[in-house]
Amino acid sequence: MSHGIKINKEACKGCVNCIKTCPTEAMRVIDGKVRIMEERCIGCGECLRSCRHRALSLKENDWDFLSSKRSLAVVVDPALCFQFPWRPYPDVLSQVLRNMGFDPIFKDAALAFDLTALAEARLLDGNSDKRGPMISTYCPAVVRLIQMKFQELIKNLSPVENPLEICIDLWRAKHVKHNVPAALVAPCPARVAMVEDPVGRDASSADYVISVTRMAREILTNSRSVEHLEDSARGSNSRWVRWASLGGETAHIKEFAEKPVRSLTVSGMRNVIDLFQELELGRLKGIDFIEARACNFGCIGGIANVESRFIAHQKLKMLASSAPTDEEKLLLDELYETGIWKLQEEIMPVEQAPLGMDLAKAMEKLEELHSVYAELPHLDCGTCGRPTCRVMAEDIVKGSGSIEDCIFRVRERIAELSEEIHVLSKKLIHTMTPEGENEDKRDM
Amino acid sequence: MSAREPLIVQREVKPLDFLAAGETASEFKELLKSLGIPTDICRRASIVTYEAEMNTVIHGGGGVMSLRLEDDAIIIVAEDQGPGIADLEKAMQEGYSTAPDFVREMGFGAGMGLPNIKKYSDKLEIDTRVGEGTTLRAYISLKGQREE
Repeated sequence: MSHGIKINKEACKGCVNCIKTCPTEAMRVIDGKVRIMEERCIGCGECLRSCRHRALSLKENDWDFLSSKRSLAVVVDPALCFQFPWRPYPDVLSQVLRNMGFDPIFKDAALAFDLTALAEARLLDGNSDKRGPMISTYCPAVVRLIQMKFQELIKNLSPVENPLEICIDLWRAKHVKHNVPAALVAPCPARVAMVEDPVGRDASSADYVISVTRMAREILTNSRSVEHLEDSARGSNSRWVRWASLGGETAHIKEFAEKPVRSLTVSGMRNVIDLFQELELGRLKGIDFIEARACNFGCIGGIANVESRFIAHQKLKMLASSAPTDEEKLLLDELYETGIWKLQEEIMPVEQAPLGMDLAKAMEKLEELHSVYAELPHLDCGTCGRPTCRVMAEDIVKGSGSIEDCIFRVRERIAELSEEIHVLSKKLIHTMTPEGENEDKRDM
Repeated sequence: MSAREPLIVQREVKPLDFLAAGETASEFKELLKSLGIPTDICRRASIVTYEAEMNTVIHGGGGVMSLRLEDDAIIIVAEDQGPGIADLEKAMQEGYSTAPDFVREMGFGAGMGLPNIKKYSDKLEIDTRVGEGTTLRAYISLKGQREE
C-alpha cells in the first residue's frame, strides 16, 4: 500500500522521534535512516508532526512539471479554502485558481459532496439498529486503520465513494474532457495515498497530487489581493467546504436525512483508536453514524496545512451556507439514481502475516517471542530502531534483527566479557609468584 | 489450578482498575491475531475478556486473567479470590447486578457481564465458592464460524 510520505534521507538523522509516534508501529530506523513499512502504514501523518529535521514530507508531484502542463484540472480538499487571509468562500478561491491558469473543479465538487451526503443520508434512513453505526469513509487514514486493525468494523464502513473522486468523474463526464489530467490538492499523506493507491476502486480519477502547503504558497505569492473577487459569498453553494472541519459531514448529512441521525464525531488518532476499540467491544449502542478523522479538528488539522487549525476553525464559523434548493434536490435525485456515488469495489481487510504457518508453529514463535521479550530492558528507548521492546522481540522472532541490536544487552555482554578478561588476567603462570607472598618471607 | 493447557499470556488485574480492562481485551485480541486466528473469533474473545475482566475488577477484588489454547478452542480464564457468587442462576440473568452504586454511576454494572460472556463463548464453566473466590473459564471454539 502506498503511504504518501516522502523521506529525505539527507535530512534524516536517524533519531527515533517519529517511529515512536506511529500508531500502527510501521516505522523502523535501519542503517541510521528511517524506513516506513508500506504494508502497515495508514498515512495518518503523525510521524511528520514529530520530525524536527524536516525529513518527512508529502509525496507530491513537482510544481514546475505541473504548472508547465497545457491544461490541468484542480480539485481541492476543502481544507485549502481556509488557508488564506480572505474569507473562505470557495468562489473566491476558484477565481484565483482560474487566474493562475488552472481549471478548477468547484461546481462539481459542490455537487459531489451534496451527492455523497444525500447517499449517506438515504443509507442511514434505511439502516436498522442491528447493523451498528455506519462509519464515514471520507478520511482515508481511518479507512486504512480499520482495514488493518479493526477488521470486524469493515462491514460498518459507508459504501459511498469519496466526493473528491466523484467530482472529477462528474466533471470529466460533463465537460467531455477525458484527456485533461486532474490534480488533487492534499492536506495530509492519506489524501496522497488515496490518489496513488485508492481503497474501494481500482484507480483514482486524479492523476497528480499537490500539497496544500505548496498550493497555498503559490497562491499567496500570485494573488496578494482578492478584494475585487470578494463579493461572491452568494455564488455557488459552500456547503461542501464545511467538510474541512470535524462535524461538517454530519451536518451535511442531516440536511438530507428524513430520520434523526444519532451521530458521533471524533478526531485525533488516539481518540479514533479508543472509539473503535469500544465499538468492537460492543459498548457503544444507539449511534447511527460515526464521523472519524485522523487529525484533530478534521482536515484543517492536516499536517500539510499552512494556516493554524484554530484560526481555520474560526473562519469556518463565518461561513454562511444555505440549505439545498428544490432545484438542486431534483438534480441530486437524478444523480443518485445513476449510482455514481457507489464504491466500485468492496473494502477488504489487510491481514498482517501471523507468526507461524499454522497454530502450533505460531504458538512456538509466540513462546520464543515472550522469552526474547523477557531478556529486554522494557524501556522502549528506541535505540534499536524499533518503537518498543515488544516490537523488537517480534522482529527478532520474525527473523529481522538480533538481540545485540539492544544497546543494554550489548552493554551487559561487554561487562561479562570484561569480567572474563579480568579473571583470565589473574590466572597464574607457573613462573609467576602469587601476590601477597614475597621472596623474603619464603627465605625465612 | 488451570495450568493444563498451554498458556498464551497472563495478566494481573488490580481491583477497581477500570481503565486497564480495555487494554487487556485489545492485547488478547492482538495476540490471537498474531497467531493467525480468524478476526471474528478474535473479536468474540476480546468481548469475553473485557466482560470477564470487568467482573474481576468490580466484584472479584482483582485477580488474574489468562489466555490459553486447547487443541480446538481458546480459553479465557478469570480467577479471583473475591467474595464468590452467591446465586449463580440469578447472576446469569440479563440485568441482574450486585454492583455498588458508585460503579453503576460510572456506567458499569448493568448486569450484562455474564450473559454477554455466555453469548459470545461456546462453553462456559464457573467454579465459585462464597468467601473463597471464583474461576471462570470461557471456551471459544476454533472450528467453524457461527451466527450470533
